[in-house]
Formats: sequence, C-alpha cells, structure tokens
Amino acid sequence: MRTYLIDDDALGVYLTEQLLRAEGFSTDISAFQCPKMALDVLIKATTTMDDTVVFLDLNMPLMNGWQFLDALAPYKDKLLGHCHIYILTSSLALADLEKSRQYDLVAGLIHKPIDSEEIHAIQDQLANKTGAE
Amino acid sequence: MPLASAFFEQDAAAVFALNQDGAFQRVNARFATLLGQPAAPLTGTGFVQCLPATEQTRAQQHLARALAGEAVCYEAGAAGAAASGVVFMLVPLVADGRVSGVYGTALPAAISPEHPADVMLDAIADVAFVLAVEAKGRYRFTFVNKAFEKATGLPGAKVVGSYVHDIIPEPSLSLVLDKYQQAVNTAERVSWLETSDCPAGRRVGEVSVMPLLDSAGKCSQLVGVVHNMTELKEGEEALRVSNERYQYALKATTDALYDWNIAADTLYWGEGFATLFGHQVVPNPGRFSTWASYVHDSEKKSVVDGLRHAAFQTQDAFWQHEYRFRRADGSWACVFDRGYILRDAQGQPVRMIGAMQDITERKEAEIRQSLMAAKLMDQNADLQQFAYIVSHNLRAPLANALGYADLLSRIDRHAEVFDNSLQNLHASLRQLDGILSDVNNILSARDKQTGYRPEPVAVAAVCRQALFGLEELLHECGGELHNEIPETLRLPGSRAYFHSIFHNLISNAIKYRSDSRPLLIRIQAVAGPGSGTTILFSDNGMGFDAEQFGQEIFQLYRRFHKHRPGRGIGLFLVKAHVESMGGQISVSSRVNEGTRFTLFFSAPNANLPD
Repeated sequence: MRTYLIDDDALGVYLTEQLLRAEGFSTDISAFQCPKMALDVLIKATTTMDDTVVFLDLNMPLMNGWQFLDALAPYKDKLLGHCHIYILTSSLALADLEKSRQYDLVAGLIHKPIDSEEIHAIQDQLANKTGAE
Repeated sequence: MPLASAFFEQDAAAVFALNQDGAFQRVNARFATLLGQPAAPLTGTGFVQCLPATEQTRAQQHLARALAGEAVCYEAGAAGAAASGVVFMLVPLVADGRVSGVYGTALPAAISPEHPADVMLDAIADVAFVLAVEAKGRYRFTFVNKAFEKATGLPGAKVVGSYVHDIIPEPSLSLVLDKYQQAVNTAERVSWLETSDCPAGRRVGEVSVMPLLDSAGKCSQLVGVVHNMTELKEGEEALRVSNERYQYALKATTDALYDWNIAADTLYWGEGFATLFGHQVVPNPGRFSTWASYVHDSEKKSVVDGLRHAAFQTQDAFWQHEYRFRRADGSWACVFDRGYILRDAQGQPVRMIGAMQDITERKEAEIRQSLMAAKLMDQNADLQQFAYIVSHNLRAPLANALGYADLLSRIDRHAEVFDNSLQNLHASLRQLDGILSDVNNILSARDKQTGYRPEPVAVAAVCRQALFGLEELLHECGGELHNEIPETLRLPGSRAYFHSIFHNLISNAIKYRSDSRPLLIRIQAVAGPGSGTTILFSDNGMGFDAEQFGQEIFQLYRRFHKHRPGRGIGLFLVKAHVESMGGQISVSSRVNEGTRFTLFFSAPNANLPD
C-alpha cells in the first residue's frame, strides 16, 4: 500500500512512519514536510490509479490541511476509490471533525499519536473497500 | 373736581354734569338720547333751558337747592323725547368747601314712581351704597342697591341700618374706614382698589366714595360706588399663575427653549441656552444667523438648510435633528433639537417653538459603551483563538511524546530506531516545555496591560540595548544595522515592551535574511501622520507574500517559512506590546526584496523631522 505522510513536524513524521512499520502497514512510505510538493506528486499519480493512503496534518505553515484538500478538490472524481485520506492531527477540536465530514475524500480523522488499534482499523476498512469493488 | 370720562360713558344710567352756573359741562350718550337731542350741542347750554317750558320753573328751584349744597331728587314731567316723566337726582359737587357744580342722573319715572333715587341706583350695574357719617368716625349704611346685594351676597335689609364695622370684616375694615375719613376730611372723592372676602366669594373692585355736604357745609353722607373688577382680576391672576408656572417650568428644564419668529428671523431664548452653552443671550431675541453660526460646519447644510427647507418648502409641523453645537468655550456639545412649527391659514410658517437638549454625556456614554463592547468582543475572539491555538500547539509535542513512549515499549532496544525514538521523545518534551514558557509569556504580557503606566522611553537607547546578544549573530552573517532613531526621541510607553519589540524584530530579520545579499536593517523614526510618531523597521531579507498572508503574520503560531525554525510567537508578542502602548503595527513585504514594519504611536514628539 503506497502511503504518504504530509506533516511539517519532523518528529511527528518519523513517529508515524515507525508506528506504521511496526504494525506492518506499509513499506512504501513517503513523507512530505511541504504540502505543495505532496500535492504535485499526488496529482501526477492519479494516472496510475494505484491505491494510496494519505495521512494529512492540519496545522502547517503556508498551506494547511484544509487548503490542501481544497486544492485537491478539482481531482476528486479521479481520486475517489483509490486515494484514501486520513486526517492525522494533534488537535482535539470537535470543529475539525465536523469540518472533515464535508470532504468526500476524507476517510477519517485520527488524533495523534496514531496507535496500533487505529492502524488495524484502517487496514480492515481498506480491505473491505477493495473487496467490495 | 374733575369727573372721570369712564364714569360717564360706562354708566348704564343717563348722567350729566353742570357747572356752578347750571350749564351742561358734559352729558353722556344715554342722557342725550333721553332728551332726544345730540350730545355735543348741549354742552354750554343751561340745564333749565333744555327742558320744556312747563318744567322750567320747578327745575330752576331744585337746581338752586343743589347749587346750595343739597342733594335733590325730584320727578319732572315729560322731558324731551321721554313721553312720560323723568326722575332727576342732582348731587352737588364740592371742592375747597364750595359747590363747584352739580352731578345729575336722569331716569324715566315710569320705572319707579315711589323711590326714584333707589330705583335709579338699582339700575346702575355697579355696586352703590350710601353711608350716613356719624360721630366718632362711625358710618351707617342708609342705602345699598341690588348690585350690592348680588355682589356681596348680603341681603339689603340686613345691611341697611348697620354700622360699617359690623358688616365689613378686618383687614378690609381698617382700610375702608381710613378712606372714608379721608373723603370726609378733604371733602373730595377718594378711590382705591379693594379685595374683600364676602359670602359670595372673593371680590375685587375699584371703590369710589363721594362726600355729600349738608346745608352747613359739613359732610353728612358718603355715596359709594364699587366698580366690580373680580372677573378681570381673576383673569389677571390666572394669567399670572400660569406665567409663573411657565417661568418655573423654564427654570426646571435643562433644555434650551426657543421661539423662532420667522418673519423677523429672530430667536427668543429661554434661560437654558446660556446655562447649557455659556452663550450670552444679549440681545434677546437674537438673530437666527447667530444660532446657525454655532452649528458645526460639517452639519450646517443638513441642519440649518434642512430646517429652512422644513419650514418653507413643506407643511411639516415637527422638525427634529441631532447635531454638534459650539459652546462659548469652543468645545462641542451634542444636541438633540426638536421644534414645532406654527403655520398660518395659508400654511406659511409663522413661528417655531422648540427645545435644544444637551445629549453630550449620553452620546459619550454610548460611544464608551460601544467601544467597550467592541473591545470585549475582540478580547473574547482573542481568547478563543488563544485557547484553540494553545491547545493545538501544546498537544502536538505531547502527542509525539505519547507516541514515542508507546513505540519505545514495542521495539528492540538495540535497534537504531530505538535510539532515534528516545532522542525524539526528549525533543518532544523540550518542545512541550518551550510552548509552556510561551504561554507564560503571553499570559504575563496580557496581565501587564491592566497595571500599565506609560513613562517616557528613550527609544534609540532601548533599540541599542535590544541588539545585545544578537550582535554576534548579526556579524556572523555579515549583516549591518542602521539605527537612525534620533537620540532625543522620547515616546510614552514601557521600556520593557520597546526592548521586546526591537529584540523580536531584529532576531526575525536575522532569521529570515536572504542568502543572496548581506543583511541590511534600517530603523527610522519620522513625525506623523497627524501629531503622532512613526517608527519604520525595514530589512532586505527573504520577505513573504504580503498579499496572500497580510496581517495574518501577527497571529499566534502562524509561520511562513518552512526551512527556518520558528515557533510563530515573536510577531504575536510584538503586536501585543505595540497595542498595549496604544500603538498600531502594520507590515508590507515583497518576496526576495525585504520586509518593512510600520509602528505608529499617536503621542506627539516635537524633535522629529517631517
């Protein structure tokens, strides 16, 4: 499973990567501290139609998580079904959870730090989806 | 003794006056009608001669008695136009102890053949009475007419025969006795204004008493006439009370009442005008244009022209406006002015009565209140943002620390990941500590605002001190700082705040310098805008996209550079400190050109070039 981590916090990126590896989630993990670079890569990858899981931080300079999702909106139809975006935030604000529901591309919202149960839940969710198709 | 014209013309009876030769001096219109002759030619002709020949002998005899000082009453036959008999009453007029003439009244005899004199006096609308003058200054009523009974409410039968001091109560008694005595002593008519409380109510009248002399030349009778003025006086009294009430109302109101005479274009002012605004109201009424000149220039058009428009171009009865009005001391009052326009039958404005109300205090309170509300809203929004951001930023390193603690328990302690994770756990905890000290700084910056007392700060010196500890960094990168703030500049504020402002701005400039050119920082101070002072802080560093981010740069934990470390608190504190000292800060920047911060303080400083 191709996995992108988008987070400006190097400590957070390293942690998430190691937790995913420890649970055997993926070996193909790319980290982006700059959301714009991640955006370019993700848009280019729409042609390959490979399944991709994105862990997106909200609080980032220059382009925050919401702005990233808005920038991705024009490619929504191509991405749906292949690209599963999970918001991974340290914020506990309920407003963020409510806002995340307005985005079809967002598969879920997880509070940092991600734990093994949440990783397994994502794995199950993805297995069901791919099985259904 | 001169006879009052009014006595002649107002009297309901036919009256006349004769001189000592028995010729008419004066007749009233009623008497002339009775004789069937015009009044004017009668003057100068003899009383006896104007009567029918058959009457002349008797008339001559009675006239002679009257001229000798006796009051005479007799019934004559037909006189002039009067078909039936006429009753004449002839009363001698006495001056200086001599008879100077005769006062006469005439009445058709048919009305009262028995007591002609009484009937005659009864016919008079005014109160009439006759007093007998007795010894020891005592006066006895010998006759009162019907008007007397009606006006006083006393039956004539009870009054006639009684002494004055039994009928008239004090304090009137002393007054009338005094006046009677005067008439007796001088043998002249005496008049005065009297108010007395009778059974029928309070009476006000003009009283005249006329002395009658007996054959010995001694005053034996007084004829009194009271012209009732009660209604007139009551009207006057009602008017006085109403005026008094109006005067007190004028005093009690704090408004400036006015009466605009539109034809004369003058304004009559109540006392409030001087009290409220300090303007001398001399002359009063004053010119309309004087009032207009005190209206604030920016509002003259809407207020003065608006009022004239309402008066002349509309049929409106009411006009009201809120405007600024100059006081005598040059300060401005906020007034609420309301007026009522009186119009004539054609709808043309005649007068406007109105009142100016000083609502300055109310206005100021409203402004204070809305400022306070706005400030509270701001603070509330600040607090919400603060709470959100702090919880977010506080939780970020905490979440990492929790994650690393979890990870460490599950991985091989000899692996490289274990060592990295342990280091990262420490780093996360240090971040957490850093955020907590930020929170402490921010909270103490907020707390200090309440107990803040401005002092004159030597800005240039504080700026130099703020450079301490940053000089090494500045020199390492080959940068230069030009502090062009005049040494004499003093701004009211806090030394610590200015220190923090300059320290943060300088360290930001160093942190976000451009790698393609040596850093140049320039700090200047200029006068204005207005009477304030502006401090300009510019650098030639990396800059940022001001169009996109603008003033967001001052928000807490907002960061605009990915590759340089920063917590996003410095500019938040700079802005908080500038605003605590009553200043404003704004920023302009262009990517790869540089950044300029503009700090404006409204306090004036005389030592700066324009």
